Parts: sequence; structure tokens; C-alpha cells
Amino acid sequence: MYRGKSITELRELLDKEELTSEELFDKAKKLAYAFQEDYNSFVTIMDDYKIKRRSDSLIKGIPYALKDNFSTNGILTTSSSNILKDYVPVYDATIYKKLRKAGGVLVGKTVLDELAMGGTGTTAHTGVVKNPWNKTCMTGGSSAGSAAAVALGIVPFSIGSDTGDSIRKPASFCGVVGYKPTYGLISRYGLFAFASSLDHVGVLSRNVKDSAIVTDIIKGKDINDMVTINYDKNLVESLDNDIKGKKLFYIKEICDKSQYTDKDTLKVLDDFYKLLDKCRELGFIVEEVSIDKALLEAVYPTYMTISCAEATSNNSNLTGIQFGPRGEGNSVEEIMFDARTKGFSELIKRRFVLGSYILQKENQEKLFLNACRVRRLIVDKMNELFKDYDGMILPASGGGAPSFDDSSEKLSSKYLLLENHLAIGNFGGFPSITIPFTFSNDMPVGVNITGRVKDDDLVLNMANKIESVTGYKDIYSKVGDIDV
Amino acid sequence: MIDKSKLKDYANKLMFDMEDSEYETLQEEFDVILKQMELIGKIPNISSVEPMTFPYKNEDVDLREDEVRDYLTVGEVLDNTKYQVNDQVKVPKVVE
Repeated sequence: MYRGKSITELRELLDKEELTSEELFDKAKKLAYAFQEDYNSFVTIMDDYKIKRRSDSLIKGIPYALKDNFSTNGILTTSSSNILKDYVPVYDATIYKKLRKAGGVLVGKTVLDELAMGGTGTTAHTGVVKNPWNKTCMTGGSSAGSAAAVALGIVPFSIGSDTGDSIRKPASFCGVVGYKPTYGLISRYGLFAFASSLDHVGVLSRNVKDSAIVTDIIKGKDINDMVTINYDKNLVESLDNDIKGKKLFYIKEICDKSQYTDKDTLKVLDDFYKLLDKCRELGFIVEEVSIDKALLEAVYPTYMTISCAEATSNNSNLTGIQFGPRGEGNSVEEIMFDARTKGFSELIKRRFVLGSYILQKENQEKLFLNACRVRRLIVDKMNELFKDYDGMILPASGGGAPSFDDSSEKLSSKYLLLENHLAIGNFGGFPSITIPFTFSNDMPVGVNITGRVKDDDLVLNMANKIESVTGYKDIYSKVGDIDV
Repeated sequence: MIDKSKLKDYANKLMFDMEDSEYETLQEEFDVILKQMELIGKIPNISSVEPMTFPYKNEDVDLREDEVRDYLTVGEVLDNTKYQVNDQVKVPKVVE
């Protein structure tokens, strides 16, 4: 009755008065609790139903989940870290305000990789998030719980954040849609910053239209986030535009099968080429382009360098003094040192040390500034291609979600490009969306479409058309055989 | 291999410490990461490129009006700490 339904379907049920929004909330809550022990999607599940009644928005009365790194006044917000384990914000993130004003009903705050700095869903202070399609596999991250909650059919949409691929990769691994819009399209006020020049807010859902509906509500300029932009185009209205003659490219150096031996990857690429044929049948022009491999191989280290360096300063406010568990010591420095030593997990500390190393005076030119230079070269190359093409299409990953004890060769450097290219979307602030397109080893895999800055309407339009031929629209894991 | 004492110094500069065994893991990880970092330096004529610190040129930026806005009250600011005195966050004595 409720589980797995889209925003549009739930809207219809509400409008026909077959269900009330309070009943929807109770159903979502029941599912959230039913799957919590096995999948661990949530840090907090809301007790009380709260709705803004005066709204004519499509999401009025619709349950959703919010990543636990968005500030929510009066509601525990931990960023999945011990250093914020008891933190209750005193102000609202802009997107939470907008969703509440539109009548969206918050079901819970979702688990992430600690401070959003991870890609596995395994580093939260409340434990590992498990993949709805197979509990022995990762969800990917950092928007792990947001992806799992949608893939389990608990909520039709959730909000995530994306600094390198943190919405689009877990979307691929969990078989849902993950959309990161143009940089600045959605306000980040109230999002706990990770790497400000790369941080984006975005949406996870089970179809492209639902992501468009939600983004139309939360987009726009915000006085509290100076990088936000006005965006007047309506994304939902653009979804069905004719795409005949639109040009897509894929990158030879990433998709050339001859360089891979992993069976899972080869199957994904076979299916990817079949999907490209279907795109051509839809009217797209799809071509292969070649990009200097040295530049592509620099994507991942460039991302690590810039993000870790920015993260060290963004997280310097976590001192345990104004908020967070107070450390022990006889001076301000000592209590801060103790709070940070106890509050951060080992993995976060390792990333911070890397950031500290990069920012040492002797390394700034060689590492940090050179990474910023490579970033420009990559973005310039993309913008050059976007003069001739409307979008880039690539597999979002070279296989399904890895298992927790994965030691496959896919972790080797040979797969560095295929597994890490999504950060290109963050370097240039390009709109970028992942949609499910195949299964390999019984696990879903997504395809990614990335386009020109501010061409979000076209990117979603193209994704919507491609979604219609994948055969995987609106999928979710029916595990547990529960409906409510 | 990078010196363990250097790693400790980098961590301490960011106001935290790690266990000895964690520094050993980090030492090994650094070896891999530094090799990947070398890929950045392999790009020809990189030094002539202007570093990029923002995804695209944003021309949609206005100076905000100089208007009074609502901000957090003292009470709200103090809500997340139990160490308070005279409407301020209490810390150990700074001036001896």
C-alpha cells in the first residue's frame, strides 16, 4: 500500500483521501523501525508527526529522510561522529526549512560516513549501514543511510550531500536515483561543511521525476549561502522535452573493455554499451571521445588533496568547547586536544593528517596548488567537450556494491578511473545524476549522466528519457516481504 | 617511508593525537597516497596553469543590504554546553 510508492503515487492517494499524511508518516516510521536492526539507515527516527498544513506543494504530507549532517533545530544532529554525538542544533538548515514549509514530513535523520568523509557507509559512530539488496555488501557513502532508506522503500526520497560522489555512488550501489545539481543550485546553509569548494546538496529517489519535484522546491538563492544562484527553469516541466539529436559522449580511456579482467566489470561494460544502443534508438547521438589518461588518473589524487586540505580547516570548529563532549585538561588547548583525540575516529584522523601534510608550507605548491591546477585542466577539458556535446554518460561504478570483506582486484590501480571519475562533477560544479541501469552479481549498478553548469533541466530531461529504457525505474529491494 | 614523528607532528598541529599502531597504519597508507599524488605532478607544464578554487565563474553574486537580521540568542548559543558562567562558555583560566 505505501512501501516503494513514488511521490506522484502518494500524492494521488492523499488527494483521493485514501490515506492521510499522518498515516503515511506512521507507515514510514513502522518500516524505518522494522529495518533498523538489519540495515541501520537511521541515527534518529522521529517520534512525532509534524506538518505545515498551509501548503499546496506536491510533497505536502509526503515522508522523507534527511542526512544527519544537516542542522535541524531541536533534533539531534551528529554527522555520525562521536564528537557531535549529543549535539542538538539551535537553527535549521535552509533545505530543511524549505521542505518543512512545503509540507514534507521528516521521518528520520540518516547515517553517513563520519563527517561525510568516506565512501563506504562503514564509519559512522552508530555502526555500519548494510546494503538493502544484500546485507553482506556495503551501501557506499557517504550518504549511506539516505540511499538505503530509499532503496528499502521506507521513504520516496531523501536528502544527501555530495563532495566527491557521496550521493551518486551510493545511489549506484543501492539501485536508486542520485542527483547532484549544479554547484550553488541548492543552499548549503546548515550543512556541516566538508570541502566548501566541492560540497553540494542533492536528492535521492526512485525515479528521475521525484528528484526533479524535490529540487524544484529546494533550489534557489539563499542569503545565507553566498555561492547560491537563481535558477528559474522548472525541472519537472522540462522532463519530457524532445531529446532527438542531443549529443552524449563517453570516455574511451574509462570504458575500453580490453584493459579490464574482472568479470563483474566486463558485464557492466557490456550492458553499458547495450544501453548506449538504446540511447541511439531514442534519438541521442552517442560518440566516444578520448581524454589524456594522465589527466584522468589525476582525478582521484586531486580530489583527495583538495578535499582533505579543505576539511582540516572546516572541521577546526569541533573543539568540544562550545558544543560536543568536553575534553579533560588544565588549559583550553589541552581540553581541545583531548576532545579531538577522543572524538574523531581513526579514519577521520588519517584524512586530517593527510590534509595537514598537504598544507605544510613545503608541500603547498607541489601538492595543494598543483591539485588546484589539475582541477582547472580537467574542468577546462570538460567545458571544451560540452561545447560539442550535451552530456557525458559513463557507468557510475565498475560493478555492484563491494562486500564488506572485498579483496577483489577492483580495488587495484587499474580500476582507479572507472571507480573515481564522478568527482569531475564536483570539480566543475556540473549537474550530475546516477540512475539504475543494470544488475551484476544480483547487485544494482547505476549509469551517470553529467552536463553543463546550469543545464540541470537538460540533464534531468536526458536522464528521464534514458530511465524509460533501462527497465529499472522505481525499483527497490523488497527484502523482508513487509508492506504497511 | 615517511617518518612517524613527522606524522605525529602533523596530527598535533591539528590538535589531536593517535595511537602508535594507528601511526603505523597511516605510515603505510601514506606510501600509497604519495604515489598517487605523484600522478598530479606528472601533468606537463602544470606550473603555468592558474589554480582553480571555485567550480565556475559565478556572476550571480550581489553584496547584501546592510540590514539588521535575527541571529542566535545568548541562551541558544549556550544550549549545547553545560559549562557556563555569566552567560558565557566557561573554560580554564587563560591568563595566569
